[in-house]
Amino acid sequence: MQVYLKIVVTSILLLSSLAIADTRIKGTGGVSSISGSGGGGIIPWATLGGLATQDQSSMTGFISRADVDDFTLDVKGLAVNLNNRVEFSLARQDFTIKANDAQISQNKYGLKVKVAGDLIFGQLPQVSVGIEGNSLRDPETARAVGARDDDGIDVYVSAAKAWIDGPFHRTSMLNLNVRSTRANQFGLLGYGGDDQDRQLMIEAAAAMFVTRSLAIGIEYRQKADNLSALIEEDASDVFIAWFPNKHLSLTAAYVRLGDIAGAPNQNGFYFSLQGAL
Amino acid sequence: MRAFPSFKTSRLFATATLLSLFLGCSNMTPEKTLYQRLGSAEGVANITELFILEIARDERVIAYFEDSNVQRFREKFIEHLCMITDGPCEYSGDTMVDIHVGMNVTEGAFTAIVEDLIEAMTKADVAIGTQNQVLDRLARLRPEIIYL
Ligand code: HEM
Repeated sequence: MQVYLKIVVTSILLLSSLAIADTRIKGTGGVSSISGSGGGGIIPWATLGGLATQDQSSMTGFISRADVDDFTLDVKGLAVNLNNRVEFSLARQDFTIKANDAQISQNKYGLKVKVAGDLIFGQLPQVSVGIEGNSLRDPETARAVGARDDDGIDVYVSAAKAWIDGPFHRTSMLNLNVRSTRANQFGLLGYGGDDQDRQLMIEAAAAMFVTRSLAIGIEYRQKADNLSALIEEDASDVFIAWFPNKHLSLTAAYVRLGDIAGAPNQNGFYFSLQGAL
Repeated sequence: MRAFPSFKTSRLFATATLLSLFLGCSNMTPEKTLYQRLGSAEGVANITELFILEIARDERVIAYFEDSNVQRFREKFIEHLCMITDGPCEYSGDTMVDIHVGMNVTEGAFTAIVEDLIEAMTKADVAIGTQNQVLDRLARLRPEIIYL
């Protein structure tokens, strides 16, 4: 809790030293993913969160909740975007098992750097490289199910391209990630297992702005199945995101998380509220 | 219970589909140019006027236009917008590079101008699909405008 407070205070101090950015086209900063980094919902995208361009910096904060059959996942987090080049992100994930109200919490730290291209302009897609550090605060469950470690590092390469005049003359975007990971269920069940360890996983997203303030899309996240004791399946979602103005977004999604810790077909709704400065 | 339509009904369907396709084709008029969909001369002039009003109250970019001749800008921008939307105009202004060189137009300023134009087209009731086609053409000019 104390660490959390410190982070919030530091961020507010940092923010007050940033000029408020408002020169990116509404929605092009995307929303906040469950790892805190800018993206969609269940995966990060190559886009950096917020409204910064190369001459500015910006910040985003968000809260989200996924509520599937037997579990909930509450996430809150922050991200700072420096000159639309470097993004630092922090998130706290609280996973609750509905049956016994037990909780597993995890901290996520992220760094994402835009290395080439631009989301909208020019031929090259925007390419970013990201690193996610994860540390489990309640590692007992992870150990019980056979995970090797309580913390782990993911590295990913992400490419995104938007077309102003896309299908149906609507602004549309595609995103593709390749992730090197050891995580079991996003890390909530630890890192590495008795069956497998570090692997490359594919993640993808497609989105379309139906109007200037309403986007719809789909996401897919391939997940490893490292633990012999449990089944882990790929995740996907369909979402709708509303941008009433440049500084606010509200996302609703239907998520399919597959089998989690022996409970099959975990489907449900996801909501996320993001503020951007 | 019949799971599928009988041969007869499905043939009826096929005939109806073919017929409607055929009628659809014979009804088709040549597609309007982007310029026409903006409302031709009147539409483009109106959009430009609204665009100038947006720029005038946009603190992010107004400084760039401090010493500009609004009359000339209006005239040349109308010609330019007409030309790039396939309208019947000859653009008589300077090249994008020659105009904007030395202004140090930033990425953010470019986006701000794009947003001002979106606002102007929205106020002129231009459909979002048509707006996106215009913006797509303007976006291609970005390397000839920013950071020169
Ligand atoms: C795709 C975007 C743009 C297009 C198509 C465009 C087009 C034009 C045209 C046609 C003119 C008049 C040319 C002439 O007088 O011969 C002009 C002038 C001008 N543009 Fe742009 N422009 C764009 C973006 C920008 C941006 C982003 C800025 C800065 C924020 C800017 C600043 C100016 C200024 C200050 C003038 C007046 C120059 C003068 O008074 O001599 N333009 N532009």
